[in-house]
Amino acid sequence: MSERRPGFFSRAWAVCAKDAAQELRRRVAIASIFFFAATALALVSYAVGPFGLPPEARSRLDASLLWVILFFSAATSLPRAFVREEETGTGLGLRKVAPGVVVLAGKALFNFLLFLAIAVLSVPAFSVLLEWQVRSPAGLAAVVLLGGWGLSIVSTFLSALVARAGQRNVLFLVVSFPLLVPLLLPAIAATIQASEGAVDGTPLRVLAAYDGAATCAAYLLAAVAWED
Amino acid sequence: MKLLKLLLLPFMGAVVAAAFLWPEPAKGFLGESSRIVFFHVPCAWTAALAFLVAAGYSVAWLVKRQPHFDEVAEAAVRLGLLFSVLTLVTGSLFAKIMWGSYWNWDPRESSYLLLVFLYSAYLFLRAAVDDPERRARIGSAYAVFAAVLMPFLVFVAPRVTASLHPQTVINPQGKILMDIPTRTVFFTALAAFTGLFFWMLEIQSRLARLDRERAKSARGGAV
Repeated sequence: MSERRPGFFSRAWAVCAKDAAQELRRRVAIASIFFFAATALALVSYAVGPFGLPPEARSRLDASLLWVILFFSAATSLPRAFVREEETGTGLGLRKVAPGVVVLAGKALFNFLLFLAIAVLSVPAFSVLLEWQVRSPAGLAAVVLLGGWGLSIVSTFLSALVARAGQRNVLFLVVSFPLLVPLLLPAIAATIQASEGAVDGTPLRVLAAYDGAATCAAYLLAAVAWED
Repeated sequence: MKLLKLLLLPFMGAVVAAAFLWPEPAKGFLGESSRIVFFHVPCAWTAALAFLVAAGYSVAWLVKRQPHFDEVAEAAVRLGLLFSVLTLVTGSLFAKIMWGSYWNWDPRESSYLLLVFLYSAYLFLRAAVDDPERRARIGSAYAVFAAVLMPFLVFVAPRVTASLHPQTVINPQGKILMDIPTRTVFFTALAAFTGLFFWMLEIQSRLARLDRERAKSARGGAV
């Protein structure tokens, strides 16, 4: 009886599970990401919390600070997706068992789940510490999901590009920041709307279009980015 | 290309002279400040064109894997950065006259500055890779990826928040709001800047090819 070859998603899931197992084994990496998020939250609430600002300025400032915390907390782990393979010398083995697009999908999925974990812990803590009210939780959830996927796919693709370059950690920030600003701006705009009431569709549509374009481009270029 | 070179000098000269002498300054702008449109918009157009040319040659490199395509792509990015900086400078001059400050953190100013960072990152990325084949591969993948996301930075992000910037040529009405002399000089300036870009690109690409051949012959001599 011939064995059925696993499909794209099950192989991508296997890469994601491998990355999760690797990160959980080295607990310090995961712990340091959450510790970074907690430190950033404490700093923000200490610096901004006691000051009374007009409601409009407050809501804009809070939304911006929330995304700064989410972005920089995630940025401590996102470049590691492919860099880790090069550092541990496992890149060649991974290239043998899975094509670039599967590896990219698996690693993007792991980064996305990690981002969601950071968001699930940070957003309620942010809300409590800064007395930040969200009038449309469903709208905020949609923003976090769309923003998180865009952040994950772009960062994972760029991580593949910088993995074998010199000064990769600094280079990752230089390369990723200008590409992620068009994602962060509508994410902040939609977060402001979610805190003030209903989210108007425009920033969410921009986020969805950005995610779609980035995912398609990353899918088409994955093999080139991960080529030896 | 020789003909283009010969035509460019009188053509550019005529554009510059016409820009200052022919159309009346537009209403609603201080003094002669509206004349910046004949230089600022063509610079922005040429920069966008340069980045698209870079993406096109990067795709060509990914398909054919010939060093020439990568050299042209890199030259196009360098020229695109030059025209982007000129766009920022001319925009800042206009901002100083109209709004009283060279830099106002207007969404359009900021998104153009980020565009400069985005393509500067391409040069940083290339500089961090020693192997020419890998450098070309990584550079090409980044140039194509950046070209896909660039419209979100240049066209979408500035429209998410309110802007001081005058209505652009690509406006919601889908109309070019210019009188005949302004329109004539404007489109002639676009053509002149486009010609200038392709002439500069040809020189830069030729220089890159000569550098590669010289390095190759030096390696051959050393062996």
